[in-house]
Amino acid sequence: MVPPRPALSFDHLGIVLAVLIGVALFAAPFATYRATRIASGEARLLIEALPVAMASALVLVALGLAAGAVLVRDPLGRLGSAVIGLAVLLPSLGLSAGFLTPADNSFARVSPSAGFWLLSLSFSLLAVDALARMRLGPFGRLVALAVGVSALALLLFSGIWDDLSIIKEYRTRADSFWREARQHLMLAVGSMALACLIGVPLGIASHRLRTLRTAVLQGLGIVQTIPSIALFGLLIAPLGALAASVPLAAALGIRGIGAAPAFIALLLYALLPIVANTIAGLNQVPAVVADAARGMGMSPWQRLVQVELPLALPVILAGIRIVLVQNLGLATVAALIGGGGFGTFVFQGIGQTAIDLVLLGAIPTVVLSFVASIILDALVDFSKGALA
Amino acid sequence: MITIDHLTKRYGSTLVVDDISFEVEEGTLTVVVGTSGAGKSTLLRMINRLVEPTGGRVLIDGEDTRTIPEDALRHRIGYVIQGYGLFPHRNVADNIATVPRLLRWDRKRIAQRVEELLDLFQLDPAEFAHKFPHELSGGQQQRVGVARALAARPALLLMDEPFGALDAVIRSKAQDDLLAIQRRLGTTIVLVTHDMNEAFHLGDRIAVMDQARLLQYAAPAELLMHPADDFVERLVGTAERPFRLLSLTKVQEVLEAGRAEGEPITASESLHEALSRLLWTGRAALPVADAAGAIIGQVSVGSILRHGRPLP
Repeated sequence: MVPPRPALSFDHLGIVLAVLIGVALFAAPFATYRATRIASGEARLLIEALPVAMASALVLVALGLAAGAVLVRDPLGRLGSAVIGLAVLLPSLGLSAGFLTPADNSFARVSPSAGFWLLSLSFSLLAVDALARMRLGPFGRLVALAVGVSALALLLFSGIWDDLSIIKEYRTRADSFWREARQHLMLAVGSMALACLIGVPLGIASHRLRTLRTAVLQGLGIVQTIPSIALFGLLIAPLGALAASVPLAAALGIRGIGAAPAFIALLLYALLPIVANTIAGLNQVPAVVADAARGMGMSPWQRLVQVELPLALPVILAGIRIVLVQNLGLATVAALIGGGGFGTFVFQGIGQTAIDLVLLGAIPTVVLSFVASIILDALVDFSKGALA
Repeated sequence: MITIDHLTKRYGSTLVVDDISFEVEEGTLTVVVGTSGAGKSTLLRMINRLVEPTGGRVLIDGEDTRTIPEDALRHRIGYVIQGYGLFPHRNVADNIATVPRLLRWDRKRIAQRVEELLDLFQLDPAEFAHKFPHELSGGQQQRVGVARALAARPALLLMDEPFGALDAVIRSKAQDDLLAIQRRLGTTIVLVTHDMNEAFHLGDRIAVMDQARLLQYAAPAELLMHPADDFVERLVGTAERPFRLLSLTKVQEVLEAGRAEGEPITASESLHEALSRLLWTGRAALPVADAAGAIIGQVSVGSILRHGRPLP
């Protein structure tokens, strides 16, 4: 028996989103205007931030979507309305920047404000919720990610956001942006890769030897409790001494400050999740499967490569996912000891009280972590699918 | 021929297998039976050296197993355990191909062998070859487990409670299938169980173990009629004894002349089956048919009862 449905049913998340959208439209500033990049901001409501016709259009669309979020149950319909919302909202931010910036004024800056953030948050939540309800498989999620990233790239390259302050910050330091991006990825991904090369064998050995396991897990657990800045600081002295006494180390660029201590600190943080998950993954290989493998005459190496590691892979990949997301965030702090990365812009921006420069460092970090977690989640699912 | 020669296993001060010796003839099915903790599994696992003996040795056709490298020895011995231990990340065909791959058979020969085994175990290759273990029923998993153990044509098959995870109906079918396959391939089998019915149903010879020791090693009828001691007698089950004895004898052997009325029974059925039909139908005798269905005589209650007790 299907229970009779009420004539009109409200979606709970939809109600919350509708309230958010209402607040964003009428009570929160859409954009912030600054006379110069470090001047204090003046809030602009949506109705002041865009030409009247466009502002009213955006309000109508947003209200329509709020109603849709409350009433429409079909995930595809919800996803469609979220996409329409973002497709109207994101370009209009760029138009607003052009509208608010006085002609021939290269000092004035326009940045998104609370109203814009709330609207984009609401529409993104609506999209994510719709995607979750569609229960996409790992392949579908990767496709959705590719579509989202392409849309973002299209917005950036179309030039429609060029009047925004954050893009102006980017233009004045485009070279250093990509250099720091490479450095950020090198620190985060490189230390993760090295952590896998060390951590997986260490995990395998710890799984076999109980005494090693206790020592390794406790040691890495203690490392994990040291705050990142403190760990960077702790590494300055030994690495400085190393560089001073071993010319080769200095020639390789190892110094007390810079990328070397940051890389090593990230590596140390990365080891615990990888080692612990390798051990956990190997532990959950059913004893009867391991016994059968041995009874059929598989050598220890064959058992490891053909049976134990494939069965442990989803858990190991889950550890790698934790490490990558954690590293992408932590690498930001590396800038404090001269290690470079997106943190450079964050700390410069804090120093100059230029909030848009902070965002220039923070937003790419968030996007990278988000993309990395979706890709690795999909990989975990793929590896589980292979095990079914 | 497998020779178990003064085999002993000791963990610290605990004796798990205490100085056991017996021989298993080529092509026979020997059941090792006993209560749990009697040391049956350890005994079995010493044959393929999953457990290294503390003392004694195992000879396969006169060759001491200690002189063969462990893995090479296990490639030659099939091994089936309770729960089967199928590889969850490999499909049925790949599971069955495990040992042939370890032996580096060529691809074509492996594919051929897998298909042959799937046919032998009544699993349609087109349907089952690419299924994963979790997609199979318990009975199908069991068959794949045995097929995998037989893949490289081992002369010896070790089975540790291979039917323990099956329900009663599927279990008795799986037991009959195993017997049929064993007759057909002539594989020597050593099977461990705690189930006395299974032991009498399957065993050419039965080894009874208790507290690390071998109490008796004999043919099933011998075990019934001349139990070595009280423990064996209790294990065999005093009340079950005559019926077990009847189930060991075929109708063929007590065939008498005459044409009784009623539904005929096949000559290859056991006396146990014949008696139960006689009791159920209230008759004194049943007609007996050969495999082709022709009536070749009859079997009567009197002749059956004479077989339900030890012969003088």
